[in-house]
Amino acid sequence: MLRNTLLIAKREYLERVRSRVFRITTILVPIGMGGIALLGGLGGKRMEAGLQNLAVVSNSPVLAQQVKASLENREHGPKSVQVFAPATDADLSQLNQRVANREIQGYLTLNTVPGQTLPTATWTSGSSTDFIGKTQMQGAVSDGLVRQELLTRGLTEDQINALTKEIKVSTSQVKNGVVVKSDTERSFAGAYVLILVLYGSVLIYGINIARSVVEEKTSRIFEVLLSTASPDDLMMGKLLGVGATGLTQLAIWTALAVAVGGSALAQSQGIHGISSMGLTNIELLYFPVFFIGGFYLYSALAAALGSSVSAEQEVQQFSFILVSPLVVSVVMMVYVMQNPSSTASVVMSLLPPFTPIIMYMRICAQMPPMWQVWLSIALLAASVWGMVWLSARIYRVGVLMYGKRATLPEMLRWLRYS
Amino acid sequence: MEVLVELERVSKAYEQKAAVRELSLKIEAGTMFGLLGPNGAGKTSTIRMIVGITLPDAGKVSLFSKPWANTSLRRVGYLPEERGLYKKMKVLEQLVFLGELRGLGAAEAARRAKTWCERMQIGDSLDKKTEELSKGMQQKIQFISTLLHDPELIIMDEPFSGLDPVNTLLLQDTLVELKKQGNAVLFSTHRMDQVEKLCDAICLVNRGEAVLSGGMREIKSRYERNHVIIQYEGADGFLQHPAIAEYKSYAGLAEIRLKPHADAQDLLRTAVATSKITKFELVEPSLEEIFIETVGGRADA
Repeated sequence: MLRNTLLIAKREYLERVRSRVFRITTILVPIGMGGIALLGGLGGKRMEAGLQNLAVVSNSPVLAQQVKASLENREHGPKSVQVFAPATDADLSQLNQRVANREIQGYLTLNTVPGQTLPTATWTSGSSTDFIGKTQMQGAVSDGLVRQELLTRGLTEDQINALTKEIKVSTSQVKNGVVVKSDTERSFAGAYVLILVLYGSVLIYGINIARSVVEEKTSRIFEVLLSTASPDDLMMGKLLGVGATGLTQLAIWTALAVAVGGSALAQSQGIHGISSMGLTNIELLYFPVFFIGGFYLYSALAAALGSSVSAEQEVQQFSFILVSPLVVSVVMMVYVMQNPSSTASVVMSLLPPFTPIIMYMRICAQMPPMWQVWLSIALLAASVWGMVWLSARIYRVGVLMYGKRATLPEMLRWLRYS
Repeated sequence: MEVLVELERVSKAYEQKAAVRELSLKIEAGTMFGLLGPNGAGKTSTIRMIVGITLPDAGKVSLFSKPWANTSLRRVGYLPEERGLYKKMKVLEQLVFLGELRGLGAAEAARRAKTWCERMQIGDSLDKKTEELSKGMQQKIQFISTLLHDPELIIMDEPFSGLDPVNTLLLQDTLVELKKQGNAVLFSTHRMDQVEKLCDAICLVNRGEAVLSGGMREIKSRYERNHVIIQYEGADGFLQHPAIAEYKSYAGLAEIRLKPHADAQDLLRTAVATSKITKFELVEPSLEEIFIETVGGRADA
C-alpha cells in the first residue's frame, strides 16, 4: 500500500537526515574534497612551474647562450638561468654547494666534443627523481642546437624566437555527423564525476541500507511491522527513504559546488560553473537518469544482501560483492571510451548492473542510437523493480529464519505469497 | 457471540520438526483467551499463523469470520514475543509512527499515545529516546503501540514476561478492562496461575497439539474435585479410610487425594467421629494439576 510505503520512507528519511552522521558528512566531505582539490591545484602549479633557478655550464659559450634563450622562451620557463661558459673548477664546486643548499634547482653541463655534431649533456640536480627537469632539459638542449644552427644561418634572435615558439594544438570531434570543438581532457569529466559520485553513494548508502535491514532483523521490530505492512511496502519505503537521504545530501553538495564554482574566487582560477567541466546539455540531462537508476539498483541489491545475512559484521564482507560491478565498469572504461560502438560496449551497456556507467560513457563518447539508450533505461528500471521484489521476498524469509537457511521449497512457497 | 479467530486443524512444520499439529481453536468477542503450554510447545508458532507472519502448511485460519486476509490485520493488535522498537526514535514519534502504520492520522495517534502513556505511568518519557529507557518501560511502550488503534482482537505473546509484579498487575488490569469493553484478548504464557485468574477460555498446547481446550469453568468441571484438605485436632486414624489414595500429613493438616469416584462425605463422617475437624474442604484441581494430569509423562520436561 502506498500509504505504508510513504510512512516508512518518511521515517527512514527523517531518522537519517536528523542524525549526527548526516550533518558531519554533509559538512566534512566538501571540506575534504575542497582540500584535495586545493592540494591538487597547488601540486599542479608546482609541476607547471617546474623549473626554478638553474645554471648552464658549457665549454661552448654560444650553445650555452642559445640553451638559455630556449629555456627563457618557454611558456613556463625557469626563474633565472645563469651561464658559466667556460666554467672553472671553483665555479663547479660553488654550483654543487648551491645545489646542496637548494639555492638553485640544478645545473646543465654541456660539452661539445670536436669532430662530433652532438654535445654530451648532464643534468645535475638535488633530486634523484627529477624527471621533469630532465625532460625539460632534453627539449631545451635540442632546441638550443637548432637555435645555434639558425643563428649561424643569419637569422635574428627575434626571428628564431618566433619560429621555435610552442604551438597549441586544439581538438575537435565528429559528433552525430557534425564537427564540434572538443576537449580531450574534459569530455569525459561527466562520466568521471558519475563514477565517483555513484561509487561513493553506493558505498555509503548501500551499506547503510544493508545495515538498517540487519538492524531490523536483530531488533526483531520487523515482526511488528510485518503484522501491518507487507514486505514490499517495507522494502520500497526503506529504499525511497534512504535514497531520498542520499539525494538530499547530493543536492546540498551540488548547490554548494555551483555556488563555489560560480564565485569570484573560482572564476579567478579559470572555473566558470558547471560549464567548465565540459558537459554538454545532453550529458547533463542523462546524468541524473543514470545516477538515480544506478543508485536504486545497487541500493536494492544491498537490501537483498542485508536480508540474507544475520549479523552486521557480515555486511562488511558483502560490500565487495556490492561494488564489484562498478569496479568492472571502471576497468572497462578506457575500452568503451575508445570503442563506444563495438559489440562488447553495446552489450555491456545494456546489462543493468553496468548500464549506469557504461551507457553514460557511450553517451559522452558518441551518442548511441536512441533505441539503445531507451532500452538500457527500461532494463535498468525493470531490474530495480525486480530487485526490490526479490529483496522483499528474501527479507520476508530471511527475517524469520533464526540462523538457519531456508530450503528451496520453502523459498518458493514464500515467493508465491504476498 | 462473534467468533474473531478460528483455527481449523492447523499444522506447521519447520524443516522436519512439527511445531503445530492439527490444532483447532475458537476465540469469541469479549473473552480473554489463554494459550498455554510449556516452552517450545508451539504457542508462538500458532500466534504467528494467526497474524500471518508464517503460513500454515495445512488447515484453515479465519479472522473475523472470514478466511485470513492481510486487510483484517488492521483490526488486530499484535505484541510479539521478542520485543523490537526503533532504538533511536523518541517515544512519542515511535508511537505515532506505529499508530499511523495501523491507519490512524498523525494528530489522532499523538493524542492517543499521550493518553495511553499517562495511563501506563510513563507520561514523562514521551520526549526521551527509546534506547534511554529501561526494559520494562520499553515493554510498556510496545504494549501501548499494540493498542493505539483500538483493535478488536488483541494478541499478545508472553506479555508479562520480564515485568515486575506492579507492572504485571497494571497490564493485567488494562487487559481485563479492554475485555470488558468487548474486545477479545488472546495471550500466551507458560504460567498457569495467570491464566487461571484471567482467562475465560483456554487452549493447552503440548508438543504442538491441543491437549485441552474450552471454557475455563467447563474444563475444571470435567475434573473431579478429588482433593481434600482437612484441618483437625486429635487422632489421625481417619487417614486410613479406604477412599484415600494418598495423603500428606502435616501438624494438624492433611492434604488428601481421593480414589476415583470415592465418597468424600463418608470420609468426613469417619473423621468427625474420631477427631475434632476445624476445616474440611473439597478443592477443585488447579490448572497446573490438570495440565500435569492431562499431559502426564508425555510433557517435555
